[in-house]
This record gives sequence, C-alpha cells and structure tokens, in this order.
Amino acid sequence: MLKGTAFVAASAALPAAALAQSAPASKGPKLLEMDGKAKLHVLGDRPLVAETPAALLDDDVTPTEKLFVRNNGQFPEMPADLKAWKIKIDGEVNTPLEISLGDLMAKYENVTLQLMLECGGNGRSFFTPEARGNQWTNGGAGCPQWTGVRLADVLKAAGLKSSAVYTGHYGADPTLAGETDKPTLSRGMRIDKAMDPHTLIAFKLNGKDLPLAHGAPVRLIVPGWAGSLSTKWLTRIWVRDKEHDGPGMGGFSYRTPKKPIVPGSKGDDKDMAVLEAMPVRSVITSPADGSKLSGRKIELRGHAWAGDHEVKTVEVSIDHGTTWKPAKVNPPANKFAWQRFTATVDLPSGGYYEVWSRATDAAGKTQPFAATNWNPQGYGANPVTPVRVLAEA
Amino acid sequence: MGATFLLLAFDRAGHLRGKQPAWTPAIAVAPRVADAKPSPDAGKPPPHNDKVEDMPEGKGREVTFYTCTACHGVALIKAQGLTRDLWDNTFDTMLEKHRMPPVKADERAEILDYLAEQFPPRRKGRGAGNPFLK
Repeated sequence: MLKGTAFVAASAALPAAALAQSAPASKGPKLLEMDGKAKLHVLGDRPLVAETPAALLDDDVTPTEKLFVRNNGQFPEMPADLKAWKIKIDGEVNTPLEISLGDLMAKYENVTLQLMLECGGNGRSFFTPEARGNQWTNGGAGCPQWTGVRLADVLKAAGLKSSAVYTGHYGADPTLAGETDKPTLSRGMRIDKAMDPHTLIAFKLNGKDLPLAHGAPVRLIVPGWAGSLSTKWLTRIWVRDKEHDGPGMGGFSYRTPKKPIVPGSKGDDKDMAVLEAMPVRSVITSPADGSKLSGRKIELRGHAWAGDHEVKTVEVSIDHGTTWKPAKVNPPANKFAWQRFTATVDLPSGGYYEVWSRATDAAGKTQPFAATNWNPQGYGANPVTPVRVLAEA
Repeated sequence: MGATFLLLAFDRAGHLRGKQPAWTPAIAVAPRVADAKPSPDAGKPPPHNDKVEDMPEGKGREVTFYTCTACHGVALIKAQGLTRDLWDNTFDTMLEKHRMPPVKADERAEILDYLAEQFPPRRKGRGAGNPFLK
C-alpha cells in the first residue's frame, strides 16, 4: 500500500517525457487510410482532418499524397462534367460573371507556382492551456505546385468598383448537418490580397486534376494567409463593400486578440481582429523525431516559411538555445513558397539531444520559445519545436 | 524510435494525458495510389463509426454523444481540454456558426457538466494556474 502511494507520487513528479516513453506504442495517433493519401495523422474523422508528420514534409515540393487535409463540412457530390462547373463573381463589380471551369481555363493565362498552404490553426497544440479546435502540431502545412489562373485577372475582367474592399468566398461542401443550401464556411480577404498575382483560382495540384479531398474541380489558393481562405469546391466570389461577414468571419473564428487576453479565459469577441498572414515557422524534416543515430554528425534538413514574408535566417541549437548556429537557407522557388534550410551539426558526445530550429523573417520577427498571444480558438502558435535524437557513439 | 513531436509539445508544457498517444515514428510510408476506375465514392474520406462507449463514462455521456455526434466525430471532442466557461462558449459556436439544432436548457446544462468534468484543461506548464483566472 505504501509502495503504491509512493509510486503514484513519484509518477506525478516525473517529467512528462519519461511517462511518454512508458506509454504503449499502440496508443499512437490514428493513421489515415485513404486512397491517394499517405498515412497522415488523423486529428478528426468527421469532418476529416489529418496532418502531415514533420518527417513526411521533407520533399522540396509536397507530393499530393502527403498534403494535409482539412475540412469543415462534408465532401460535395461531383457532377459528371467537371468543365461545366460554374463560378460566380458578383457584388461590387461592373460586370458580374458566371464562368464555367472550361472557359476559365481557356480565357485566362494559366500559371504554375509553388505556394504555401497552411491551416490557420497550425501549431494550436502548443498552446497552454488548451485552445479549442483540432490539435495541430506543425503538420497543417504543405508547399505543392498549383496551376490555375490569377484571381486578379478574373476580378479585372469583372471590373472592380471603387467600393470593392473585400471578398467573400463560397464552396459547394455541405455542412456537417448535411445542408447544401447554406455555406459551411465563408471567409474573405482584403481586396489587395485578392489582387496579388500569387492568389490563384487553381484547378491542378502538382500537375494533375485536383483530387476531391483537395477541392475538385476548382479552388482558391491564397498563399501565406490562413488556409480557410483557400476555399475548396469554389462556386462564388462575392466582392464586398465591407469586411465579409460569412460563417468563419465573426466571434473567435480565425480572429486573434487586439490586446492580449488571460490564457484560458473566455475573451470578448469585440476585441478580436481577423487573422490574415500566418507567422514565421520552421520545421526540421530530417532527422525524424525519435531517431537513433549511429554517429555524432547530423545532416539536418527542414523548411521554413513566414506568411507574407521571406525567411531571412534559420538557426539551430542542440543545447536548448544556449548556443545557436546559423543554417544555410535557400531562396524560395517563388514568392510564397517555403525555403529549404540545411545545417551540419556535430554532437559533442553520444547521448540524448534535442535539436531546435528557429526562423526569423524579413520583418525581423522570430519564433518564440512558447506559443504567444493565447486566444480561445488557438491561432498563431509558432514556437520553436524540437526533434529528439539519441546518439549511440 | 519512440514518442514524437506532438508528445514533445505536450511534454514541454508538462502535460500528458493518459489516453493521449505516444506515437509510432514518423517514417515515410508508401502511399496507396487511387484506383484507376471511377467510382461514386472515389476520393471520399474513409468511413467512421463512433460509439457511445468511445467516450468516457459519466453522467450526461449519452445526451452528449447523441447531441454532438449528429454532426462531428468523437475524436474532436476528446482532443479538447476546456473550462466550463469555454465549453459554454463552444456550445454557442456550434449553435451560431455550425447551426446545431436548438438544445433544451436542462440538456445543455447536463452536456456542459459532462464536458467540463471529462475534458477540463489538462496541459500544465507556464500557462497553467494563471492568477487572473477565476
């Protein structure tokens, strides 16, 4: 009895890492089993939400099967003739358009760019206390190649009125309750982001038609900003004369505090502002977390990105930030693509190490050590996140 | 190869849930490639089948299960760790943003009691025990 009590007390005092290692391996995350997709980590199956573990983010260009999946509603039914799919452009425009996908592809210049897609809630699991929503680590992000037309070209064809200040996006996905006559989510952006030449109406992903899970047959790609703007199964862009007010624009959804609030508190929705660009982040993609190393030299690889900005520097540390070493950072393939970083790290001895990476963007913002600006739905968490290795020699 | 990154995040916060995964290493896995022949369900997500027993026992489990899983899965509920205040706020989000059908006041209270009891904040660390939280 005494022994039992002592054990409980000891367990409570143990660092969580020790407890983690004693947990049975069968308690791992549920792995996605879906045609055309790798074994991503399932965060929720209804709606389907799955993130890409860091080690699967190593490719220069994210393969389609490794791209994270985020849904707010159900998957829509696909018509037989996808080229006849209609997209409406209306609101504050001189000439409202209703254009078929076939015409869109034929009438406007097609461009292919490598563009970052990142869930607004990426990093949410790093908040303490917990924030509401899917508990993403850093895997709600990927950087594949997208082919489409510039949204700006289509908006220019429709002719923006001087009153046009914002967009509102609509997709065909039914709500979780199964309704098809109401939007599941309808977010929007400032008109200058809509007019950015990197904002696309996309119909190909890595050179192939969009898969259903990624918004077939046509979707928006709004790189660097919260992924919920990149509406899948796109049906309509409503040009607004004020900030859009569809589901996902109010309350605490995709909004962060204008002034810091007490972590864990309810907050006041009147003190929240729309989340736009995503913060600077770096992810070590090799070695994988939990790697056993036969030597002491690590050829470290990863990706870094920073919303609207380029990443300027990435540093790595093997001593919890006591000392830092610069990594080599490659330029992006184009604006809004992530950047490869590499570093050779020599461990001073065998044993257990945590390898950290810390990116700083061109605006001088760097990744913090703990998630900051806590908010009820957990946006903007981008702390330094380590990879743990054990060197045998 | 041991626990990974998600866990580490929790560890850094000094938090570890009993039922939370220690996960299998994130190594590359050969993807399954989609079938060439078209099917009406092509590209759709795999099926799911949540049961009441997938949620922890407690007063209010049934009404919570049937109210919440009419729309979304149990996994989403179990991943949360919120105060009763934030659960209450979540209820409003479901009603207003996700158009959950109205729920009677006594049922709402029972559901909130269950959620607050079963899924309270569990992450400990610098963010826990804030003196400004009641």
